[in-house]
Amino acid sequence: MPVLEVSGVCVAFGGAQVLTEVSLTVAERGVTGLIGPNGAGKTTLFNVVSGLLAPKSGRVIIDGHDVTKAGPSRRARRGLSRTYQRLELFTSLTVRDNIKVAGEIRNTWGRRGRIDVGAETDHVIELVGLGDVADREVSELPTGRARVVEVARALMTQPKVLLLDEPASGQTEQETEAFGLLLRQLVDERGLAICLVEHDVGLVMGTCEHIHVLDYGEVIASGTPDQIKDDPAVISAYLGAP
Amino acid sequence: MHLLLTYTILGLVTGAVYGIAASGLVLTYTTSGIFNFAQGAMAMLAAFTYWQFRYGWNWPAPLALFTVLVVLAPLLGIFLYVFIMRGIRQTADVTKIVVTIGIMLGLIALAQWIWNPGVPRTDQLFFGNAAKFKFLGVYVTDHEAIALGCGVLIAVGIRLLFTSTRTGVAMRAVVDNPALLQLNGGRPERLAAFSWALGAALAALAGILITPISGGTLDVHVLTLLVLDSIAAAMFGRLRSIWLTFAGAIVLGLASTYVLGYFPESWEWASNFRIALPMIVLFVVLIVLPQDRLRGATLLRTRERFTVPTIRSAVTWGAILLVVVLALEQVMDSSDMGSLTVGIIYGIIALSLTLLTGYAGEINLAPVSFGAIATIIVFHLGLSGSGLTQRITLWGLILGIAVTAIVGGLIALPALRLRGLYLALATLAFGVFVSDMIIADIAPHVLPIFHLHYSIFPDGTLQIPALKIGPLDLSSSKTFLTTSTCIFVLIGIGLIALRRSNYGRRLTAMKDSPAAAATLGQNLIKLKLSVFMISAAIAGLGGVLLSSALVSVSDTTYIIFISLALVMLTVVGGIGNVAGALMGGILAGTAFQALTSTFTNLSTDRGGGGFWNVLANLSLVAPALIGVSLGRNPSGAVPQIVSSYRPLWQAKGVLLLGVMAEIVAYLLVLTKVMGNWWLVLATALIAIALPAVGRLVAPEAFLDPVKAPPAQQQPATTPVAVDIVVESVADARP
Repeated sequence: MPVLEVSGVCVAFGGAQVLTEVSLTVAERGVTGLIGPNGAGKTTLFNVVSGLLAPKSGRVIIDGHDVTKAGPSRRARRGLSRTYQRLELFTSLTVRDNIKVAGEIRNTWGRRGRIDVGAETDHVIELVGLGDVADREVSELPTGRARVVEVARALMTQPKVLLLDEPASGQTEQETEAFGLLLRQLVDERGLAICLVEHDVGLVMGTCEHIHVLDYGEVIASGTPDQIKDDPAVISAYLGAP
Repeated sequence: MHLLLTYTILGLVTGAVYGIAASGLVLTYTTSGIFNFAQGAMAMLAAFTYWQFRYGWNWPAPLALFTVLVVLAPLLGIFLYVFIMRGIRQTADVTKIVVTIGIMLGLIALAQWIWNPGVPRTDQLFFGNAAKFKFLGVYVTDHEAIALGCGVLIAVGIRLLFTSTRTGVAMRAVVDNPALLQLNGGRPERLAAFSWALGAALAALAGILITPISGGTLDVHVLTLLVLDSIAAAMFGRLRSIWLTFAGAIVLGLASTYVLGYFPESWEWASNFRIALPMIVLFVVLIVLPQDRLRGATLLRTRERFTVPTIRSAVTWGAILLVVVLALEQVMDSSDMGSLTVGIIYGIIALSLTLLTGYAGEINLAPVSFGAIATIIVFHLGLSGSGLTQRITLWGLILGIAVTAIVGGLIALPALRLRGLYLALATLAFGVFVSDMIIADIAPHVLPIFHLHYSIFPDGTLQIPALKIGPLDLSSSKTFLTTSTCIFVLIGIGLIALRRSNYGRRLTAMKDSPAAAATLGQNLIKLKLSVFMISAAIAGLGGVLLSSALVSVSDTTYIIFISLALVMLTVVGGIGNVAGALMGGILAGTAFQALTSTFTNLSTDRGGGGFWNVLANLSLVAPALIGVSLGRNPSGAVPQIVSSYRPLWQAKGVLLLGVMAEIVAYLLVLTKVMGNWWLVLATALIAIALPAVGRLVAPEAFLDPVKAPPAQQQPATTPVAVDIVVESVADARP
């Protein structure tokens, strides 16, 4: 059963059609990849899903609830959380406070499911391995570590679906490897559904059960990593027509 | 029919002038991203300059017009852009707003300096009052026809410029991405300078055209506000569309003349309503504007940096402030104490801005007007006793604060879905509305059903007595000063505690990246509303204290320019710091007034005091100059002062010496060996000398980079920028 369902989403900026009839699903307990060349519309789709951008048509369903008309914060309450390709950290706060404030926002949703913010912050910091920089200003971190802070922050709201927008760009090879393990761990231990936009082929092929390929705003292929690898449409999108 | 036509033509003419001024606003905003609050003041200055040439020096009209419109105004525009506006890219909204407000206040002070406000001046219509022709049976003056023609020409001209010329298309590209435009061979700098020149010329034209139509009397404040009204028209066009801007301007012009013509004479408030109409329209337009896209940190990354003190250090500094004020009370006479009290109360009002702007990133341009609301409530419902024993009651004060918070919430609600600039404009509209309609409501009305006689602001002057809470009676100036200081300290510590709480962290998150805060599940509207209401409540408390300190308050107490000056000076002090609020308050309420009156007294006492007069006028222009300098140091003065003193902790001997010297100077004043002014002078000298002496005695403290204050470190924004470039290069389509 999919936790996130996008159907028939169209977006146009001025005259340019950016997304055309995009439909895809993200299954629970797993990592779903969303790949495609630059400008394919991946980040735009994330903005539509998280409510930052209203689509011209189409529907977004999170955990069985139609949230097409809801704002970003209502969608977060339905269990959606995300990171940003262009970092959106709270630059006046330390690493710890960036993560902590997300838990504090979580606790404004209502009585149900309140968390112990202090303990959860410590737990998440240890989980993602930010202990050594927890009390530094986020602006001092290199991009690779800063992306991990975004992931940690997104986890604090106890999401069901996590959208990750190029989390490994700027990370070293070792960091990316550890990051892949972290994603698997989140799926196994927290039962998270993750939607991963990434250019690192190794990370995508190694962690995703299912992959959607976007090109020029259209889904051109969907399937397991093995199916995608051999798909002629995908090959031509990445390498150009033969 | 005849009457309708007369009013329609008059309305169209007014609308055309609004449109001209508003299109200048749109032009500069589109190309430089800066909303020019000084547009009205520029128009005012042009009208005065034109008067000087045409009637002061009897130049022929074409020469005077040419000099003002084609030479001086564009030069002013280019000057402003090159020397000021270019420096405030990459600063927070509030800094941009405050810099143009600084220019506005500076131009106003300058005009009052050059043209003594005591001398009446009038402009006449072009070709005189007799030059008119008959149109459909109605007389139209040549001046009106010229104004209409100018409006049409400019509307069509700018539209063509934007859509059909290369320059115009490039101008629209500037605001979106100057760097990209430059890569494509455009010249963003030159284009922006050109648009500022054109914008200034349009402002000047509007000013020259409207002065004779609106009666011909030149008044600095009235003219500035008149053109400020055109903001409503610019908002019609959402600061983009020239057509809609002119359409809005015409609606505005017609509405104001129809109100004049068709509202029954028994409605005494109609004339106030007419003056307030543009601001009401502005407010309504803001309500119907569609929601903005949430902006992310990439767009909001700014140069301002603030640090948050610990509660312990906040308490320590609060205690120090209290001790200093208590010590000063021993040597000050009661009028000086009153002036210091006003400064500290302005500081309390400024604290409302520290919370709202410094912590939450939203802007209120009319904090003093919120104080006016609280004052009016207290005047009507919160007084007990009569004559000399009349006092403000605690419940009256609480009621006043509560009503102000609610009013604040109602004002802010429509603008909260919009960007910071729009909330700023909504508060500006509110501030002018309060002056034009609420405080101007001085004549008694009869309430229809209850047959009650009432007016909101009886006779235009309210006598506000002192506050009395239990045994605490603020009627003595010493008690009032001490209590005000205590209130400032308590609110200051409270704000710092708030900033360190989860509420404060959520405010910071919203300020840094509204998009991220929203996608984490923060209801931004709720958060903004709550912080705006708390801020309005603080401004309300400050406002009641202010009115009570001034004893007798009138429309000039709450005029929008006071609010604007306070906002500006608070940003100058440091909008993110409680100490910045104190500095802003003291500057607004005490320092510059003291300076001006000192110089004015000197010039009258010593006779032939042209020099002192210049200094007095200079100290009127000075605040504006300081405001304009914000581009260089957008974080404000307090962080800068703190960082220049911080190394002294490593040279405690020097610090101790300074404190001792200060105490000696104080004791000399206390024992009447020296006068009060010497204390001020000695303090200033010690303050300036300390870091220099420290550098001499303990140079290692100033050199050691490890001990450099963290506030000085440049934020590491480079990795992000590099990252984006790398991404866009590496991921180019094969």
